[in-house]
Amino acid sequence: MHSDVVISVKNLTKTYRIFSHPGDRIKQALTLGRVHFHQEFTALKDVSFEIKKGETVGIIGRNGAGKSTLLQLICGILKATNGTVQANGRIVALLELGAGFNPEFTGRENVYFQGALMGFTKAQMDERFDGIADFAEIGEFMEQPVRTYSSGMFVRLAFSTAMHLTPEILVVDEALAVGDAGFQKKCFDRIDAVRERGGVVLLVSHSMEQIAHHCDRAILLEGGTVAFAGKPTEAIHRYMALFNGPRDQECAIGNVQDFSTDDKLMNRPSYNPAETRWGDRKSTILDACLVQNGIEDPPFLILGVRTELKFWSICHVDSEKLVFGLAIKSRTGAMVLATNSRFLLGPGEPLKQMAGTKLCTSFFFTPFFEPGDYLVSIGVTSEMGTGLLAHDRRYDAIILNLRAPQPNDENSNASLSCRVDVIQAPAAIGR
Amino acid sequence: MRASGLNPSRIVSDIWRHRYLIGQLIKRDVLLRYRGAMFGVFWIFLSPLLMLAIFAFIFGQVFQTRWPAQNNGPPFWLLLYSGLITFNIFAETVSRAPASVRGYPSYVKKIIFPVHILPVVPLGVALVHGAFNFLILVAALAWVGGLHSHLVLFPLLLLPVLLLALGLSWFVAAWGVFIKDMTQILPVFVQMLMFLSPVFYPISAVPAALRPIYHYNPLGIVIEASRAVVIGQAIDWSAWAMALGFCLVVSVLGYAFFQHSREEFADAL
Repeated sequence: MHSDVVISVKNLTKTYRIFSHPGDRIKQALTLGRVHFHQEFTALKDVSFEIKKGETVGIIGRNGAGKSTLLQLICGILKATNGTVQANGRIVALLELGAGFNPEFTGRENVYFQGALMGFTKAQMDERFDGIADFAEIGEFMEQPVRTYSSGMFVRLAFSTAMHLTPEILVVDEALAVGDAGFQKKCFDRIDAVRERGGVVLLVSHSMEQIAHHCDRAILLEGGTVAFAGKPTEAIHRYMALFNGPRDQECAIGNVQDFSTDDKLMNRPSYNPAETRWGDRKSTILDACLVQNGIEDPPFLILGVRTELKFWSICHVDSEKLVFGLAIKSRTGAMVLATNSRFLLGPGEPLKQMAGTKLCTSFFFTPFFEPGDYLVSIGVTSEMGTGLLAHDRRYDAIILNLRAPQPNDENSNASLSCRVDVIQAPAAIGR
Repeated sequence: MRASGLNPSRIVSDIWRHRYLIGQLIKRDVLLRYRGAMFGVFWIFLSPLLMLAIFAFIFGQVFQTRWPAQNNGPPFWLLLYSGLITFNIFAETVSRAPASVRGYPSYVKKIIFPVHILPVVPLGVALVHGAFNFLILVAALAWVGGLHSHLVLFPLLLLPVLLLALGLSWFVAAWGVFIKDMTQILPVFVQMLMFLSPVFYPISAVPAALRPIYHYNPLGIVIEASRAVVIGQAIDWSAWAMALGFCLVVSVLGYAFFQHSREEFADAL
């Protein structure tokens, strides 16, 4: 085994014995296991992979694919039926929100207790406590029983505590689904810090955005076996295909050309090379730019000036009900604008297109955000039932630099759209 | 069963390694029981005091019971109480053992946790209560004028009972995970054992034909020995040493059994 391999899983199999009646377990034990009273359920079959230092690995799959069983085996909570798991380093696991927290005790008491669970002494926890409290941002609730917490506060405290226990292997199972965008951003910053220290992060999530964004690699589990392991975008792509019929799957993986061909967006000055991209590629985005005052790709946008976001896409197969989306978020992850063509155009004629058609989509908006850097995400999807099926989503593909209008800027109509009045109030008000 | 599980020094080091965590769990358990009560933690003192007061009234005033073959020294109700201190440590530990692991499925399934220390917690809590009971005993003895220097041996004499309680707890906690009925069976078993142990009477009061059985009951030996120091009589050290040896074996076997079966816990819970 190489020294930089942190987790090594070999031919891992987990079979649960299911007893229909608790007495059956005793009967079987009394016969020394010669007579079988149980049924078997195999949750994992012959799973093998290695995770090296500094990797963040996403684990995706449908419900019941064996994700949680795999994590529990890696943590040593479950015993493997066959095969081996080797994990070198201190494992901090967030398998269930607030497991090990006692609702009757205060946040502070629970933090110290969590520390004790991981083998930290009181003195070591004293050092960490302020950091935990600052990160969790729950203020005076720290001294209140945990049962009075909202689920958001709960997850903040649990995550904050876990992150301050200096994990070498961090295992997170769906725990980040709660918590607002700002907090999630903070968490992922910490996760990235773990990775930079040479630690390993294992992330189970149903949020493909998180997987695509933060993982170096993804493992797709299906029916207890590894269906795919490799690039996150590819894993997500195959995962999404699992929800369609076999014919669609073939089409999705087979006929469609690679993303990178004909991509002009990459050469734009506003392009963000750290974008993440995924979808089934039935349509792809070829190019995009921001336009303000008739200038394409200006070095910065001026606050309060009408802006156009244009993007060109091509349909590779006949498409019905196309939906184009736009989202703008701040560097800290707060969404400031999110909309799509279905919402803006209303329930009119669906955007139906033949294979080979190129489309140009323009969103018009007036940025009234605080000056600073923003990340623009664009996407082409199709309406499927109540949800959207992603063809090509490009997260954080464009960097938008917003500036306050200077007195000598022309065309600035910020003062027309936003106004302030300061008048003296009658004496009776404000007492 | 792995041979390493049968090594007593390993058990000690294993428990010692997690002493802080065990301490925290015991503290939590004790505090949680009294949290929210008007008198709070005072109940830890108040409830044995009330019990002793009732004993003093019933056996001292109403029945005017005397300990067999005893003319002077502490009154009956105090001797009864001293036996109960020992027995209660055992009883409290063992009756709570079946739920000690079963009651914390999230510790077994959701976090990385040294599960084998869970059955140690009820013993620790019982010892906390036992310590307060002992303080009350000392105070009461001083009050009735029967305080004896031998009394310092009392805590030491409990050692076999602690080992026995711990060993049985490991067995019962493991069974309790698979068999829910254990939580119902154990209190009945413990109640039965109370009457079969010389808590309310000395072994000398048992018919001679049955007496050998009592000599093999480690619980009885310890109760007798601890009562002897209260009265100021000599202790049967050879019987006590035998009890200690037996209890040591029970605890080691209990630990080994627990470690052997814990692999199945997560599947069963």
